[in-house]
Amino acid sequence: MDASAAMYVAQGIHGLAYGMMLFLIAAGLTLIFGMMGILNLAHAGFFMLSAYFAYQISVWGGNYWVALIFAPLITGFIGALVERFLLRKIVATGLANQLLLTQALVFVIIGLVQAKWGTEYLPFPAPEGLNGLVNIAGMQYPEYRLFMIGISFALLIFMILILYKTRLGMIVRAAVSDAEMVNALGINVPLVFMVVFGVGTWMAGLAGVVIAPVVSVHPYLGDQVGMDAFVVVITGGFGSLGGAFLVAIVLGLLNAYGIQFVSQYAMVITFVFMAVVLAIKPTGLFGERE
Amino acid sequence: MMNNKVKWGLWVAGLISLALYPHIFGIYFSNFFITFAIVALFAISYNLLLGYTGLLSFGHAIFFGAGGYGTALALEHINGLPLIPALLIGIFSAALLALILCPIVARVRHAAFAMLHLAFNYIMYICVLKLRHITGGEDGIAGYNIPPFSIPGIVSFDMTDPILFFYFAVVVLGGSMWLAWFLTKTPLGQIMVGIRDNDMRVDYMGFRVVPTKAVVYIFSAAFAGVAGAMSALFQNMIAADGSVDIAHAFQPILATIVGGASSFFGPIAGAGIFAVLEEVTTRFTQRVELVNGIVLIIVIMYFPSGFIGLVRMIRERLFSRLIAKEVMEEPS
Repeated sequence: MDASAAMYVAQGIHGLAYGMMLFLIAAGLTLIFGMMGILNLAHAGFFMLSAYFAYQISVWGGNYWVALIFAPLITGFIGALVERFLLRKIVATGLANQLLLTQALVFVIIGLVQAKWGTEYLPFPAPEGLNGLVNIAGMQYPEYRLFMIGISFALLIFMILILYKTRLGMIVRAAVSDAEMVNALGINVPLVFMVVFGVGTWMAGLAGVVIAPVVSVHPYLGDQVGMDAFVVVITGGFGSLGGAFLVAIVLGLLNAYGIQFVSQYAMVITFVFMAVVLAIKPTGLFGERE
Repeated sequence: MMNNKVKWGLWVAGLISLALYPHIFGIYFSNFFITFAIVALFAISYNLLLGYTGLLSFGHAIFFGAGGYGTALALEHINGLPLIPALLIGIFSAALLALILCPIVARVRHAAFAMLHLAFNYIMYICVLKLRHITGGEDGIAGYNIPPFSIPGIVSFDMTDPILFFYFAVVVLGGSMWLAWFLTKTPLGQIMVGIRDNDMRVDYMGFRVVPTKAVVYIFSAAFAGVAGAMSALFQNMIAADGSVDIAHAFQPILATIVGGASSFFGPIAGAGIFAVLEEVTTRFTQRVELVNGIVLIIVIMYFPSGFIGLVRMIRERLFSRLIAKEVMEEPS
């Protein structure tokens, strides 16, 4: 295989890995939006917070796998608390308040993180045995990217199984389409909301830990990824998991090839893509509501 | 209510105290006042969208930036450009940007409007950082000449004198605030409120919703452009951070929500609260963002109508007690 083809494949792998990460984050956002109608701007803040938890666990002597299990769990728990004690009280007061409250949470999270860990870039290395290259069919692939793709796929399948094969998934899907009716049927919808918010935050946290070895940990880690995840949710259509998946992969690839060819303006491509989609179809590609 | 004499008296007293302000409090506090007034005008321009038309935008800083960069670039590249044309160039570049964007944004609402603006703000921020040869990247543009304010053949004021600039800023910013207030009292202002409350009904009444929104959007952008251009003149520099960054896009939102979006004067109160709050917090801690976030959470949770709402509530309680007293005393 010649050099340029190898470049295409390598960038493709990078793009796919980033796209799957975006989907992990966007899936949580979309689930939360679909069920509760909350556009959670703090989602990326939780993603960043989880990376810091992972770093702290590694400082305390835990290895990568310990961090991968515990950091997202702590983050998810915090997310559930935020839903219970803050968001639940203002959900009914409208979109502006939800967006502003969650953005205020971002300020608080960033402020606290800077107070505790400072603003420098902190290392969080990939685990032993995953930081090399692997040889498949005469091509070198970075193992960790493949691991990122693998773990995201595993989680995607896990989520589909839960959503479509279990009773809990049935309740969640029902609550997405009509929360009031589900509540009237005697199911404790506020509790389901809290659990979904917690699980969504857990997924963002997982993405944060998984991506940390690639980009290293810093307070503004959530900014770009969070933006991209929002673009995914909005262009995919609010509340549509399939749309989110498709757009996440497209954006990941656009980003990777964009960095290759027009490196200076790679970030702009994402937003131009979103602006074009929204200008043509304000509800997003697969969305039915605004 | 207040009779005309008292009203005029208050106006005159206000103007006199403004005129004496820089002489009494000195240069530090007159600069503090200009900073506050710029934020206040920025927040008022934002509230034309949020409070009056019901459009939540997360990217109003693009217009502040367009105004600031417009003025700064004009002063940098055009030799001998007088002050007022420089200011107008800034304002028109903000309005022009709004004119370009409004075919896209006037049709979308709610979350899509908010997020689309967040995207525009990001695009603008990145472009400003990357187009180094035009905008100076992270360092921005600084050290351009601030021309004197002159009426040819009659009078010329040196704008590098802080006290003279204070008067100029008060006139321009105050005048813009008055214009914005006037705008909300015109029939257009009434339609804006109608669109906020129920755009479908406004549509059925025969008003055209989308063009109206576009007009409001351009006005709002122009006022933000005034704030940006004045900021560029005031600081004699403009850089990406502090003009078109996301944190700056949230400044008018914070001021509007904390002050109260339901009133024209809410954003001014909010800007004042934040100016004082920042002045105080920076003496104790570096974490202004953290304090702002906590204040915002408390306001949204417990005082959803902001400072103005709080004032109204207190006034109503006082008045209701007075009214109750009158009612009790009447029969006797």
